[in-house]
Amino acid sequence: KKQKVLAMPSTRKLARELGVVITQVTATGEHGRITADDVKKFAEGGSTKSA
Amino acid sequence: MVVGDLAQEVDVLVIGAGPGGYVAAARAAQLGRSVTIVDKDELGGVCLNRGCIPSKAIITAGERFAQMKEAEEIGLEVTGEVAVNMQKLMDWKNSVVKKLTGGVGQLMKGNKVEVVTGDVFFNAKDAVRVVSENASQTYKYQDIIIATGSRPFELKILPFDGKRILSSTEALNLQEVPKKLVVVGGGYIGLELGTAYAKLGAEVTILEGTKSLLPGTDDKLTRIVSRKLKKIGVEVITDAMVQGGENKGEEVVVKATVNGEEKEFTADYCLVAVGRKPNTDEIGLEQIGVELDDRGFIKIDDQCRTSVEHIYAIGDCAGGALLAHKASYEGKVAAEVIAGQKSAIDYQAMPFVIFSDPEIAYTGLTEAQAKEEGYNPVATRYSFQANGRALSMNQSEGFAQVVADKETGLLLGVQIVGPEASSLIAEAAFAIEMGALAEDLSLTIHAHPTLPETIMEAADSLVLRLNK
Repeated sequence: KKQKVLAMPSTRKLARELGVVITQVTATGEHGRITADDVKKFAEGGSTKSA
Repeated sequence: MVVGDLAQEVDVLVIGAGPGGYVAAARAAQLGRSVTIVDKDELGGVCLNRGCIPSKAIITAGERFAQMKEAEEIGLEVTGEVAVNMQKLMDWKNSVVKKLTGGVGQLMKGNKVEVVTGDVFFNAKDAVRVVSENASQTYKYQDIIIATGSRPFELKILPFDGKRILSSTEALNLQEVPKKLVVVGGGYIGLELGTAYAKLGAEVTILEGTKSLLPGTDDKLTRIVSRKLKKIGVEVITDAMVQGGENKGEEVVVKATVNGEEKEFTADYCLVAVGRKPNTDEIGLEQIGVELDDRGFIKIDDQCRTSVEHIYAIGDCAGGALLAHKASYEGKVAAEVIAGQKSAIDYQAMPFVIFSDPEIAYTGLTEAQAKEEGYNPVATRYSFQANGRALSMNQSEGFAQVVADKETGLLLGVQIVGPEASSLIAEAAFAIEMGALAEDLSLTIHAHPTLPETIMEAADSLVLRLNK
């Protein structure tokens, strides 16, 4: 089954820019949405490719 | 003839100036690269010169003409004859094309993109030769974007002659309205042009090889279009296997097997629109090892990279949905990746549009596709018959359908058949990209009376059917 990533296009772009694989990010937004903050936190907290 | 072998050096070379190529060139230039774009023909590619734009112009003319003839329904009595002046129509269409290709020229100029006319051949992995009428020049590049597009697929048993047996290119340049037109292929190109010419007065027969018009499109949407085709006198024959045809000078005879029976169709023109094939066979790709798939499309990754480093491909020549907006999107991705950005092909909702009557547009998943992907979908429709604007436009055939996941309410897809479906679909694509719930659509105030209210209403009914 393909799991849809629930994140706005700008958030998905942010994830790419920060070198974050968005499917690994824990979502805190409603209905399982990944927010920009989720992506930033993931990048700060141990992403190997953070900028 | 041959100029010296001193190679010109550029940062980025783009082959092909269609909607993929010119957008890629502009973006690469905006990101600080020196860019040269090469095309063997006019700027704008197929879309502007012999595709999207000219076909929409002719469709508009057909639509306006049909409306004038139906004007009496709404109390407008046309006295005197309403006639088609094909010469003027084509002149107007050509002027539209010229304005837009001129605009592409300005865009290139404004971004300091060098424009070169000529045929391109790969010499090496980092160089191409550009051959024009009286010159030949080698270009060395750091990165190259292949955007060579596609061309009409030719049937061996019914080859184009450009006079009676036409590809879409010539069908967009007819100097008269055909008395009879046989369209081979019931895909969107054949359907769009067949409908337009039927409205301009041609007797049109569409021969489709499969069992339905618009193969690949949800038949709930197609059904509404089929009904309208019947109304305007277009004959659609499905399961028709074309066996060949012949230009007899004044007319063309097409032979087809329909339900095991041999049949002949005589017309003054035959449009063959059975698909498109990628322009990847004449530029020397095989010599430099760029991998193609078994249908000849260039294989790319999600950053538009081919199998050879520094060589990118976008648009029709790279396969997938053969759509102008998809090519432009990939053009930006390729240019940004070349400039060192972390862009990627990453979309949730590709809008598909067919300028049939009424228009069809869809994006995201259908109910059946949603099931396949493991959702428990619920779908709700709202008819344009109940929409005030559609009724006041006297164009109330069709519906908008919203598909969402029953448990979460997540919006999965929208399918529309009806007036302005091509414009309406934008809201749906945006909503899906934003990860909207069906409820978000229903809670958004839509202006009244407008066509997009139909989407809001469909979403509104859908919300009542969710598991809450």
